[in-house]
Formats: sequence, C-alpha cells, structure tokens
Amino acid sequence: MNDEVCAFALKNTLNEIQNICPDIKNAFIFKEDGEVIAGDANTPEETIVRALNALDGIFDKADSINGVEGITLEGNKGRVIVSCMNDLYLATVTSGKADMKYVDTVIRVLIPTVLKLAKEFNPTSLKNNPTPSRTESDLKPGFSTYKSSEPEEEPAEESLVERPGQPLEPEIKPEAPLPDPPVNQLIAENLGGLLVPSDTVRVDNDTLSQWAELYEGRKIEEVEVETFDGKTARCKVRLIKEKKYEGKGIVQMPEKVQLVLEIKKGELVRVKPVVE
Amino acid sequence: MSKKKKGFHDQVVEAAQPIAVEGTTPANSVREGLDEVKTYEGVIGYIIRSTASAAIDLKDPTKIVDYAILSSLALDACRELTELFDLGDAKSIAVEGKDVKMLSAVVDGNRISIFMDKTADTGRILRRLHVA
Repeated sequence: MNDEVCAFALKNTLNEIQNICPDIKNAFIFKEDGEVIAGDANTPEETIVRALNALDGIFDKADSINGVEGITLEGNKGRVIVSCMNDLYLATVTSGKADMKYVDTVIRVLIPTVLKLAKEFNPTSLKNNPTPSRTESDLKPGFSTYKSSEPEEEPAEESLVERPGQPLEPEIKPEAPLPDPPVNQLIAENLGGLLVPSDTVRVDNDTLSQWAELYEGRKIEEVEVETFDGKTARCKVRLIKEKKYEGKGIVQMPEKVQLVLEIKKGELVRVKPVVE
Repeated sequence: MSKKKKGFHDQVVEAAQPIAVEGTTPANSVREGLDEVKTYEGVIGYIIRSTASAAIDLKDPTKIVDYAILSSLALDACRELTELFDLGDAKSIAVEGKDVKMLSAVVDGNRISIFMDKTADTGRILRRLHVA
C-alpha cells in the first residue's frame, strides 16, 4: 500500500467516521511538520491549511513541554481535539452536543486500525518521505510534500584506490540523479502592476531557498503550477518583493496565469520547481 | 504624541525580570482563583496577562519565557480556530505535552495559562475559575 492508497484509505475512514458520528463536523490527519495526510470530504483543503497554520506556533514552541501529545479546544458551540497517533496527528472538530466518549472511542479505534493495516501492508508507508524539518523550510502554510522515496544521495567521496599493476585512471562517475521536485501547496495571491511580466509567478525566499538547498545551488528559473482540478501552467519564477507575503505560503501570480488555471486569489495550488 | 506599541516579547521580558510583576492589578477574583489553583496537586504555576499588567508565578523560573510564548500562541490559536470552525466563544484550550499540560483561557479579559503535571485535574481548575 503506497502513500496515496494509504491517504485514500484514511480519507475514506474519516468520511465513514462522520457517517457513524455526525457530530464530527471536520476531521483531518497531518504530520507534525504540517504535511496534510488526509482530510474528510466536508473540509476544504484551504480550511485545513488555515487550521494548521493556527496550530503551527504551538507545535513550533512545544519543546518546553516536550512536544505535543494532544490539544483540546473548547468553544461555546463545539470543540477541536487534536490527538497524537504514532507520528501522526488527528484533528476532529465536533459540535457542542457531541457525546465525547463516543467520539473518542470511534476515533481511537478506527484510525489506529487503519494505520496499523497500512503499516502491515507497507511498513515504510507514510514514514519514508524525507520531509524537511520545520526549522529548515519554515513553511507556513505551504506544506511541502516530498514524493521521492529515494534516500538522499551521499556525497560521492569514493577515493581512487591504487591497485597494484594497474595504471591509475580517473573514473568517470555517473551524474547523481536529481531528487524528485518537492510539491509546495501555496495560496494564490494577485500580482499586478505595469511592469509585471504575464508569465512570471513569485514565491517567497523560504521556498526558493528550500529548492536551492535541495538542488545544491541550481538556480530554479521555472515552476509548474497545478490546480486541484488538474490544470497546469509552467511559469518563470521570481522572489516575492513585498515583505508582508514572506513566510505566508503565498504564490503571487498575474491575472493571465490565474485565467489559464481558472483560479482566483485565495485558492490553493501546487507549485513545484522545474529542474532540467 | 503617539506611544509605541509594545511587542509581545517586550512584555514577556518585562514580566520575566521579577517573577511576579504587578502593575494595575488584574481582576482580584481571578488572581485569588489562580492562587488557590496553584495549591492544587500537580499545578506548577500560572501566567496571567491583562492589557495593562502581567504576573507570572512558576516554580521553575528558567521556563518563564518559553511558557509565556507558548501561552500566547495557544490563546491566539484558540481564537483563530474558533473563528475558522465557527465554534462560538472560545472557552479554553489545553495543550498536553509529554510531561506538562497547559490550560489557557481568557477570564474577565485576562489571558491566563496554568501549567501542571499531566495527572492534575483540569476540570476542577476550570470549575474554580468559572470557565467550565
């Protein structure tokens, strides 16, 4: 069972949980670094990203209490519960009249069962993605998803060993394959102005640095922007100029690109670097 | 002449100099409640912040800044999530760590956070502070 199938199984489980327990209004599963694993059908991805953005600070500063094991938020009309399950977190939003014992029983039985099954089918599932640490990328709310399951290439330090009787010949090493491009989920923001090229989008320094680090200093000139409807556009990429958009998980795009992708400001898109 | 608005970190540092700083006192009843709560089994200490003052009473002074930042972040998250999911007025947020639990709420306009062992009775604390 690969990650996609596992995520699909978890998504279905979340939907089923809502069927048997209608008092659960929203449910989603994420990793500590902010990567969304699965969400129920009722919860838009943008809402999940916003919720994780709100929780981001707590996870970031939870070292003082040795990490987060759970969060319970009580409101007049409902509550949010974040529970830790292995290395994943499940967030559930319930109505105020929900029977919490029942909700707790349901989520603490079903989700761990599905996770256990997923692990049995593929022990590396959901664990082998080398996601960057929060401090490295500090993605807010652009949660990065590395699809590559290949281990990072060790720097080639193979020394030339002298073999008796053989002339020393320089070895031609094959070029190390590039890692798969990371996919960043970013929120579309308008980019306007007289001198703005219509084929260029802008992302923040964190994202560009993360890519540069991954591709060892290669300059990323182009990105592929993909909507959740599957529409894609290849654009040039530059750094965001406005400080207010730094670290917000924003991709600024001109109107023309938005028209091509059939999206508007505020919608979530996937952005990945083009490395050739 | 307009006054420069103080950042949160300035306030934390200000509050962190002496362990308890008292300016314009927060609502006395809340302070009384917190002082009583502090005697409960497993309670490590508390932080209370109003618009004009802050008071911190923690057994371990080295944790003051970390706890104050976490407290502020938790209360901000509480407000944002209640708005996002339309949960009405936020009552409280509890963040459970591996060792320590933090319970935060806004009581009579005061942002309070109570730090405790995981075994401490949060229900009793909430009832005492009239949050439940």
